[in-house]
Amino acid sequence: MKDKIGIVVGIGIAAMVLVTLSLFVLNAGNLELNEIMPIGIVLILVAFAMYILWDRIKNVKKGLPAKDERLKLTNYKAGYYGFIAAIWSAVFAPLSFEILFDYELPGHLVTAVVVLVSGFVFATSYLYMYWKGK
Amino acid sequence: MKTRIKELRARYDLTQEDLAKKIGVRRETILFIEKGKYNPSLKLAYDIAKALQTTIDDLFIFEEEER
Repeated sequence: MKDKIGIVVGIGIAAMVLVTLSLFVLNAGNLELNEIMPIGIVLILVAFAMYILWDRIKNVKKGLPAKDERLKLTNYKAGYYGFIAAIWSAVFAPLSFEILFDYELPGHLVTAVVVLVSGFVFATSYLYMYWKGK
Repeated sequence: MKTRIKELRARYDLTQEDLAKKIGVRRETILFIEKGKYNPSLKLAYDIAKALQTTIDDLFIFEEEER
């Protein structure tokens, strides 16, 4: 039951993210490259979430658990890597924009970079460990 | 770390999925333990050993240099 609730909540969140993103794209008009890139990362994260949910549904249907101790460990490890990535991106994103483009990155964009980078690192490291078993 | 899970599964005619269902883990976890790519917790090792009617000591073979 807990597994099923988790799956339903996950699908709901992914759907809400997609709806929000669609509303943003429809109202944004002409999108520039710096706006398309974050949208791409969000879509990658949604695709990652959908893949994980599909895999959980597949397991639950077979009578296997959606999560076990290996996946919980994978989750913790990926969370740790995502956290480290968040810290480093919070430090280096404003610094690199200052050095490379002579542009002071506003606070809300730094937050966006931190969220997207940590999310991306979490997703890639999770998938790596998920497939490699480490 | 080497394991005798595959050998014992064959003895009891169990697939990875059957064993996974018996002990309540995902099939991939059994696969990775068999391949030596995941070290199970003591509890999981005990559950696997119990399901295969053996002991942890008999199921997992530690190489001296791994300790």
